[in-house]
Amino acid sequence: MNSQLIPVLALIKDTFREAFARRIFWGFAGCCTALLAFLVFIMRIDVVAGALATITIFGRAMPTTDVQGLVHQTQSVIAMALYFFGMIISVFASAGLVAAVFEPGRIELLLSKPVSRSLILLGRYLGNLLVVAANILYLTIGSWIIFGIKTGLWGGGYLLSSLFTIFVFGVLLAVIVLVGVLWESAAVAIMVTFGIMIVTPILQQRATIERLLSAEWSRNVVTVLYYVLPKTSDIGVIIRHLILNEAVDSWMPVWSTALFGIVVLAAGILHFRRRTF
Amino acid sequence: MPAYAIETENLTKVFRSRWPRRELTAVDNISIRVPVGSTYGLLGPNGAGKTTFVKMLLSAAHPTAGRAMVFDRDSREPAARAPIGYLPENHRFPTYLTGWDMLDFYGALSGMGAAERKRRIPDLLTQVGLDERAHQLRLGKYSKGMLQRVGLAQALMHAPKLLVLDEPSDGVDPVGRRQIRDVLHALEQKGVTIFLNSHLLAEVELFCREVAIIQKGKLALSGTVLELTSGSGYRLEISGATEQMETELRSRARSAGAANGMLQLLFGTREEANQALDLARANGCEVETFGRTRSTLEEVFMKTVEG
Ligand SMILES: Nc1ncnc2c1ncn2[C@@H]1O[C@H](COP(=O)(O)OP(=O)(O)O)[C@@H](O)[C@H]1O
Ligand SMILES: [Mg+2]
Repeated sequence: MNSQLIPVLALIKDTFREAFARRIFWGFAGCCTALLAFLVFIMRIDVVAGALATITIFGRAMPTTDVQGLVHQTQSVIAMALYFFGMIISVFASAGLVAAVFEPGRIELLLSKPVSRSLILLGRYLGNLLVVAANILYLTIGSWIIFGIKTGLWGGGYLLSSLFTIFVFGVLLAVIVLVGVLWESAAVAIMVTFGIMIVTPILQQRATIERLLSAEWSRNVVTVLYYVLPKTSDIGVIIRHLILNEAVDSWMPVWSTALFGIVVLAAGILHFRRRTF
Repeated sequence: MPAYAIETENLTKVFRSRWPRRELTAVDNISIRVPVGSTYGLLGPNGAGKTTFVKMLLSAAHPTAGRAMVFDRDSREPAARAPIGYLPENHRFPTYLTGWDMLDFYGALSGMGAAERKRRIPDLLTQVGLDERAHQLRLGKYSKGMLQRVGLAQALMHAPKLLVLDEPSDGVDPVGRRQIRDVLHALEQKGVTIFLNSHLLAEVELFCREVAIIQKGKLALSGTVLELTSGSGYRLEISGATEQMETELRSRARSAGAANGMLQLLFGTREEANQALDLARANGCEVETFGRTRSTLEEVFMKTVEG
């Protein structure tokens, strides 16, 4: 047990080290810090007896009605920014981080250690996921505390939503890992992942698309693609629902996306085990 | 206790590419045995398949056929790699790590605990000739020679029983080579098996007791260095020969030459050499040297590779 734990922890720590050696992660963390500073210093919310008195941004008072609605709206804007822009930055940064492991001259040494290939890949995957999760949680928990202190509202939906953001990143990271194992290319990994991120909002509108398509088979293709690929837009909608304290109609997008992630990661590991370097 | 550190049976690696359709047998049916405690050199020109062979020992490349055993365990088991220290060729160590961090990382991958790593790192770095400053310097700022040293330290981190070095003196200056050789000699004394890949004859000749020469993936020759280079003739060097005497001696020798006022003669058998020696002494010549010649490993190598 212990003999396997030391290498896995070392792999995770190494991923953090490599991430911190890259500017892109500092950029990400910097953006998060700037946003937090904005919330602390620029936005002033005066609450009187549970109702909003004024909210001031850049010294200008804004007309508002209810404090809960305002906080939820702001939180969902931050969550969505994190969900889309944060995801894009994370994909960019991680593609390089994953591809780096397969560099000739580096992979041989890693493989020569008494650690199974599956663990080597999982260690990197986990390390990368944790780096990104740390950033997302930093911004989310930080802003959650700021909102809580300023308004006295400590609703958990916002925190919960960040776990879904991390989850979706984990699925995209599985794609990056698979592409990395197959082609050792950060650029291809970014292209494929963005391809998925672009296609899924389109597929989400499949009712509309199906009306436009005349052939039966083409409608079937759209349906199959919708169910197979990760549902990033549907989960974006779920995140909004969570923050706004609304009911979620279907969890299918979540579990089917999880399934996709597991299959892709397993494929990546299997191929990695068989490859010659 | 296994008798062999490395044992391969018909080890073969075929690289196939689909487009353009091509097949290359990089390692072709190689069976060798490396006894525990020996110093073994795998010698061959560039592209002979040495690196591919080593990668199969470490399971970085999977054999197409045959198998490799390390201390009697199949190299595909992760545990088989535990007693191996490896210095790859053309390595690219993570540039963001310092020398210290690098040893810490790879030591942990070998399953070493934190306290043990911390104890061993400074000793090892110093042993391979890296000073205090280098311990905390990022590898991105290391010179080629320093990288080679830190790579060696890394290979030694978990006190391996078998050391596999792929072109270890690549990019290292003569002083560094000497230092590396000293480190290796000390390990040899401790009973560590050392397997060395090289295209440099001098390196192998200076260090290894056994060699295998491979060419185009095939095992061309193997044995101890002494066996391979042993007796090919006798050499006689004399001075003070008259012109007539010189002509006579040259006609008896297998080959002859002159350098620094001395006549150098090579004879195929001991008998011929002794007769020539008697003749020369009887005619007032001075004998400078007389002895048995050994072919250099280089001659053996060139003969194998070209012939
Ligand atoms: N991954 C690979 N794919 C295809 N061919 C390879 C690969 N690795 C090595 N080769 C080929 O195998 C042959 C042996 O290479 P190598 O083992 O590196 O030789 P050496 O180490 O003796 O110089 C070379 O012709 C090389 O081009
Ligand atoms: Mg080589």
